[in-house]
Amino acid sequence: MNNVILELKHVSKHFALSGLRNIGKVVHAMDDVSFFLNKGESLALVGESGSGKTTTASVIAGMYEKTSGEIYLDGQPVLPFKTREASLRYKKKVQMIFQDPFASLNPTHTIRSILERPFLIHKLAGSTRELEAMLCDSLEMVGLSPAKEYLHRFPHELSGGQRQRVNIARTFAVSPEIILADEPTSMLDVSIRIGIMNMMLDLKEKKHVSFLYITHDLAGARYMSTRIAVMYAGMIMEIGPTEEVIANAVHPYVQLLKASAPAPQEGVRKAAIPAKGEIPSLVHPPSGCRFHTRCPYAKKICSEEVPAMRDIGNGHLVRCVLV
Amino acid sequence: MHADAILELRNLKAGYATNAGFVRAVDDVSLTLHRGEFLGIAGESGCGKSTLAYSIMRLLRDNARIESGSIIFDGTDITSLDEKAMNEYRWTRMAMVFQSAMNALNPVLSVEEQLVDAVLAHKQVTRADAKKTAMEMLELVDINPERIASYPHQLSGGMRQRVMIAMALLLKPDLLIMDEPTTALDVVVQRSILQKIEELRRIFGFSVIFITHDLSLLVEISDSLAIMYAGKICEYGPSREVYASPDHPYTKGLMNAFPTLTGPISRMGGIEGQAPSLLSPPPGCRFAPRCSVAIDACTKEVPLLQVTSPGRLCACRLCGGNHE
Amino acid sequence: MIRDFFKTLVKNRKSLSGLVLLGFFVLVALFAPLLAPYPPKTDRIEHTTLIEENKSDPEVLNEEAEGQNREKSVYTVTITQKYEKTTEYFPTRAKPSKDHILGTNHAGNDLFSQIIMGTRVSLFVGLATGLFVTFISLSLALLSGYLGGILDDVISFVTNVFLVIPGLPLMIVIGTYVPMHGVLPIILILSLTSWPYPTRLLRSQVLTLKNRDFVRASKMIGERTSFLIFREILPNMISIVMSEFFTVSLSAILGEATLEFIGVGNITVVSWGTILYWAQANGAILMGAWWWFLPPGLLIALTGTAFVLINFGIDEISNPRLRKR
Repeated sequence: MNNVILELKHVSKHFALSGLRNIGKVVHAMDDVSFFLNKGESLALVGESGSGKTTTASVIAGMYEKTSGEIYLDGQPVLPFKTREASLRYKKKVQMIFQDPFASLNPTHTIRSILERPFLIHKLAGSTRELEAMLCDSLEMVGLSPAKEYLHRFPHELSGGQRQRVNIARTFAVSPEIILADEPTSMLDVSIRIGIMNMMLDLKEKKHVSFLYITHDLAGARYMSTRIAVMYAGMIMEIGPTEEVIANAVHPYVQLLKASAPAPQEGVRKAAIPAKGEIPSLVHPPSGCRFHTRCPYAKKICSEEVPAMRDIGNGHLVRCVLV
Repeated sequence: MHADAILELRNLKAGYATNAGFVRAVDDVSLTLHRGEFLGIAGESGCGKSTLAYSIMRLLRDNARIESGSIIFDGTDITSLDEKAMNEYRWTRMAMVFQSAMNALNPVLSVEEQLVDAVLAHKQVTRADAKKTAMEMLELVDINPERIASYPHQLSGGMRQRVMIAMALLLKPDLLIMDEPTTALDVVVQRSILQKIEELRRIFGFSVIFITHDLSLLVEISDSLAIMYAGKICEYGPSREVYASPDHPYTKGLMNAFPTLTGPISRMGGIEGQAPSLLSPPPGCRFAPRCSVAIDACTKEVPLLQVTSPGRLCACRLCGGNHE
Repeated sequence: MIRDFFKTLVKNRKSLSGLVLLGFFVLVALFAPLLAPYPPKTDRIEHTTLIEENKSDPEVLNEEAEGQNREKSVYTVTITQKYEKTTEYFPTRAKPSKDHILGTNHAGNDLFSQIIMGTRVSLFVGLATGLFVTFISLSLALLSGYLGGILDDVISFVTNVFLVIPGLPLMIVIGTYVPMHGVLPIILILSLTSWPYPTRLLRSQVLTLKNRDFVRASKMIGERTSFLIFREILPNMISIVMSEFFTVSLSAILGEATLEFIGVGNITVVSWGTILYWAQANGAILMGAWWWFLPPGLLIALTGTAFVLINFGIDEISNPRLRKR
C-alpha cells in the first residue's frame, strides 16, 4: 500500500550567476536530492546555511523551477505549472509557512484582508456569512481568540508570535495536504517558540497534514518530526528515523552537527570537535563527497566519487563510503 | 566589595528615550563579576541585556543614558567618567565583541588597518609593533596571519567574528563583554568560536560577560548565570545549579522551552503570553501576568533579589527567603 | 492604512505647513479672476458713455400690395449714436502705487494681476507635469520591475539613455523647435525631461518589495499577478510615490520658470516665469525695479518650499528614525 504523498527523485537546482564575468558559473544549491514524505508524517530537513534546505522547500513550493529531476505528488508528476489552474490546484494541496513573521504579512492590509484571500481565491466560501465564519474559525484554531478582536487589526499591532499564528492560519485556510515549514520559529522569542511548535503538532494531527519541517536546529527537528534528513552543501547526507539518526549518527557531518549542538543535560563541557574548515562554496563545490575537505576520516576515494546513498536498514540511508 | 571582583554593578538604571516616553531597559540591576569568571546573561528580546552591555562599556547612544546607580570596575567608579577618561579603560581594560561582525567591522578598511588602528589608539607603539601584535592575535584565533591584508567581505562569517574577538583581545583586557556573538552563525562555527574563547580564557585569564537568548548554550559554557526579564535580574547562580534546579518561575518556564537532543521526547510547556513593554511595565512583579503560580500579592510589590542558598539569588515572592 | 498616512501627514508640523502654503496658492489660483484687480493683459481702462442718440424718420423705398389683405413696404431708418469714450492708460514701468500695488510692466499691464493670474499657470503646469510623470513612471516601474525579463531590459535601457541626456539643453532644443500654443507643449517638454529619474527610483522600490516575504506568501496562496502588483506592492509604495510627485512638481515649476525666463517657452502666456522674462528683457534688475522681479521669484521659491516641506514630512513618516524627539 502506497502511503507516500510527496516524492523527490534526483532533483537538482542550479542558479545561474548574473554578470559578464560569471558566464557559465552556477550555484549548485541542490544536487541529486531524493526523498519521500509519507501521509500524515513529519519529516525534518536539517542543515546549516548553504545546505540547500530552503531551496528544496522553495522548489517544492513551486517558487523556483527545478533544473532536473522529478517531483511526484500523490504519484503524479508535478511542477513546473503549465496553467494557472494547475498552479491553483497544486497550491491547494501544498502550502508554505515562512520564516519571518514580520515580513510575511503585508503591513498595509488588515488581518481580515490578509486572511480572506486564500478563501476567496480558491472559492472556499459560498456566502459572505460563510466566509466570516471561516475567518473566525481560522483564527480560533491558531489560538487567536476572540477572533473579532484580531480581524480589524494591522500586522504591526500584533506580536511576533501572534503574527506567526496568522501566517499559520493563512496556510491552513485551504486545507492543504502538505505544509512546508521554513524555520517557522527561528525569528521568535525563545519562550514563545515551543508554543508555536506545539500548535503545529496539534494541527498536524487534527487536520491530517504532512509536514516538511526545515530547520537548522537538531533538537527542534527531534521534537517536531519522526523522520529526519540532513543536508550539506546541497546534498542529502543522511536520512532516516529521527531517533536513530540522532542517537546513532553515522555520517561524519551529522556527528559533527550533533557534537556542536548545545546539550546542557550532558553535564560536562564538550570536548573539542574533530572537524575543521567551513561550509564550502556552492559555485565550486568540492569534488566527490562535498564533506571530504573537512572530514576527519576522509580517504582518497572520497575526493574522487560522489558516494551513493547506502541503505543500512530500517529506512536509514547514508551517503558515505564508510558505511 | 569582594576582593577579587573585577566588576560590580550597583542598582544600575539605564534606558533610552523614545517618542512615547523613556524606556528603562535596565531597571535596578546589581551584579558582581569575579576575576576570571564567565558570567552568562540570558534573556529574550527587549529584556534590556544589550542596554546593560553597552552601559558597562559606556557606549550608549545619544538618546540613551545611565539614570542612576554605579558601575565599579576594578575598584574605580566609572559611571560618570568623561570620554577621555573612559578611553583609558576601553580596549585596554574592557572590550566588547558585537553581534554582527559585518556591522562592527568597517567594510572599506582592511583587517590590518582596523586592528592596527585599535592598538595605536590606546598604546604608544610603532606601527610595525602594532602590526606584529595584530598578527600574533590572528594566529591565536586560528586565522592565517597572512590574511591580515584581507577586507571583511573576503572573509567568511565565522572568520569575521574571530577577527572581532582578536580585535577585542589585542590589548589584553581584563573583561570581555560579548553581545550575542554567535547568534548569526551556524552551529558548527558557533561551537568552534566558543571553544576558541575558552582556550583564550585559559591563556589570558580574562573575565567574560556573555549575553544571549540561547539558554542551553550558556549552561554549557558559563560559570554563573543571570536571567534577565523585563529590565530586571530575576535569578542568579552557578550555571549547573540554576539549570538543575531553577528557583524563579520564569527560569523554570525557560528550561521547559528548549527541546533536547537526548532523553525522552515529551511535550514541553513553554511560557504563555509575551514580554511586557518597558514603557509601562506591569505593577509589582513583571513576570506576574505570565506566571502560572502568581498570587494576588505578586502584582502589588516588586520582589527583590534575595539569597535563597549560598551563591543563589532569586527575585520571587515564592522562592524562599524573607521579603521586605 | 492610507487614511492613516494622510492623517499622519497632517499631524507632522513640516508637511502641515507645506500643505497649508500649497493650499493657499491653490486657492489663489482657483479664485484668480476674482482676486486680480485687472485682467492681466490689459493696459488701459476704458469708459464709454452714450451721449446722444438720433433716430431719423423712415424713408420709404418701396411699397407693394400683395393680394387683397396684404401690404409690403421697405423703408430705411438712420440711427446716429454719439459716444464719449475716456481711455485711461496705465503708466508703463510704474512704481507701486495705490492703483497698482506692484506697479506695471513695460506694456502697462498691472503686475499684481499678472502675478495672481500667473499662479494659475505656474501651479497648473507644475502639478499637471507632476501627475503625468508620476503616472508614467509608476506604470513603467511596476511593469518593468515586477515582470522583469526582456520588458525590463528594454525599459531600463531606454530609461538609462534618457537619464544621461542633460535636461536643460534638451528642454531648450525641443522648446526652440516646437510651436508653442498654450501650455501643453511646456508640460510635455517638462515631462519628457523628468520621467527617467522617478522611473528608476520607483523601479528599485518595486524590485525590493517584490522579494519581500509577504509578496511570496501571497503568490503561494495563489494570488494572480495583477493582484500582486496592485494589492500587495502598490499600497506599500504610497509614500514614495507621493514624495516623487512633489519632487517632480517642484522641478516642473522651476523648469517652467526657466523655460519662460530664457524665452524658449510660450511668452504670450502669463506666468511667473514670463513675468521674469519680461522683467529681465526690460532691464528691470538694472533699474532696480524690485517690485517687478522680486515677487514672481519669491513666489516660485515659496511654492518650491511648500513642496519641499511636504516631502520632509513624508520622509519623517516613512523613516521614523528621522523624527526628532
